[in-house]
Amino acid sequence: MKIRTWGFFSGQAFSSMRRNSWMTIASIGTVAVTMIVLGVFLLLAANLTHWAGSIESQVEISIYLQDEITREQVDELAQKFTQLEQVAVVKYVSKEEALLKMRDWYGENADFLAGLELDNPLRNGFKLTTHRPDQVLDLAPTLRTYDGVAEVQYGQGMVEQLFAVTGVLRVVALALMIGLAAAATFIIANTIRITVFARRREINIMKYVGATDWFIRWPFVIEGMTLGLIGSLVAAGLIAWSYQASFAKLVISVPVIPLVNPWPFLLGIVGWLVLIGTTLGVVGSTVSLRRFLRV
Amino acid sequence: MLELYAISKIYGNGVVALRDVDLKVEKGEFVFIVGPSGAGKTTLTRLLLAEEKPTKGQIIVNKKVVNNLRRNEIPYLRRQIGTVFQDFRLMNNWTVEENVAFAMKVIEASRRSIRKRVPEVLDMVGLSSKAKHLPTQLSGGEQQRVALARAIVNQPYVLLADEPTGNLDPETAWGIMNILQDINAQGTTVLMVTHAKNIVDAMRKRVVALEAGRIVRDEYRGAYGNED
Repeated sequence: MKIRTWGFFSGQAFSSMRRNSWMTIASIGTVAVTMIVLGVFLLLAANLTHWAGSIESQVEISIYLQDEITREQVDELAQKFTQLEQVAVVKYVSKEEALLKMRDWYGENADFLAGLELDNPLRNGFKLTTHRPDQVLDLAPTLRTYDGVAEVQYGQGMVEQLFAVTGVLRVVALALMIGLAAAATFIIANTIRITVFARRREINIMKYVGATDWFIRWPFVIEGMTLGLIGSLVAAGLIAWSYQASFAKLVISVPVIPLVNPWPFLLGIVGWLVLIGTTLGVVGSTVSLRRFLRV
Repeated sequence: MLELYAISKIYGNGVVALRDVDLKVEKGEFVFIVGPSGAGKTTLTRLLLAEEKPTKGQIIVNKKVVNNLRRNEIPYLRRQIGTVFQDFRLMNNWTVEENVAFAMKVIEASRRSIRKRVPEVLDMVGLSSKAKHLPTQLSGGEQQRVALARAIVNQPYVLLADEPTGNLDPETAWGIMNILQDINAQGTTVLMVTHAKNIVDAMRKRVVALEAGRIVRDEYRGAYGNED
């Protein structure tokens, strides 16, 4: 297509939007509302996943060493653990440190721990964190076989259940998103179909004059793209603004729930909403046109 | 040249619309296609515009076989065939000149040639003064003249007019016939499907009569029908 033809296409698209201004507003509104719903779900899903992730990442392996092993054996074990490819962080915790931590934990009620410094019943050990939390399940049992290791703990039983729950959460979030995107496509395609239907006579005339399918299609595609873009920009703006506002409030009032930081997270959300909204506009108009191009 | 060889069209429901039709129209001819309703006139125009494919036979327009075009080739056939219909088929929210210019935009003609050619054809159909009007502000005859201007603006190989005077009073109809004759005089082949007996009888052009899907008469300087 030549440049002047593109000018004609966009002129057609915009004059059609101006002429059917009510339909244009309705379509933009539909896209905006659908994208807001989708956006809210994206935010929920992202925060849910983030929450699940932050719980999972607290999963670590505690290794307790036999009392009688030497300094060299400890160093050797540290080196072996560090070389394991699943392991991200290896931290040595001496029994003195463990006691201090315990005392912190009990705070004012730590009196009963008094005197233990002299005959510390705790054991030296390591804390391991893996690159991915689920690697804990496979890794932990093998660690027991190392020389000098007395005991391995990773919250056996609890961790398996936790992973099962977070797994379900992820699947539910994904399913909701796919369902919503499908519903959004349907609603938007239907809205555009109304405008296309109103112009089926014009499309028919164009075919008789010898216009190619793409010549007829492009103004509709540009129109759908513009409607989708404007609608999703409105939605993305509202979503970003309200998330940022509620983040500031929630972080203070409910600090227990780990929320995803607004930036750069919102950039991604805005990007996705605009991309999806625009694509839906284009797909909606192309799909709706197909039937009327068969002349 | 426009050639139809042994064209048959049988619809899915078993209705035979055309049966073994042979027709040859030389460049520059003026041909009336007449016949009662259901004789196959509409099917003939639909086949020529590749709206449908013939069940059997071959159609050749300007040396190109067009009875089995792929979907994306059809627009290029239609650009060689200017069309005018009973119901005008104009864009009601475009001005007269925009309607005519559209046919040139479809073939991506330059802005300059559009600016030059559109007033020419509007002058030829006598609508120069109404270039900025909307079709809804025009009479039926004027609207049909806009359609004619649009049909010939790209100088098509054939002008196919399907009942162009069907919606017009006799006087206006003659105005349209005069323009068709002018167009024909400039070398464009004109194919006109019609019921207008008085026009066919008065013009004394070639008349092809269809009945029940067959060509029953093909006369040069003919009349609408001998019997009625």
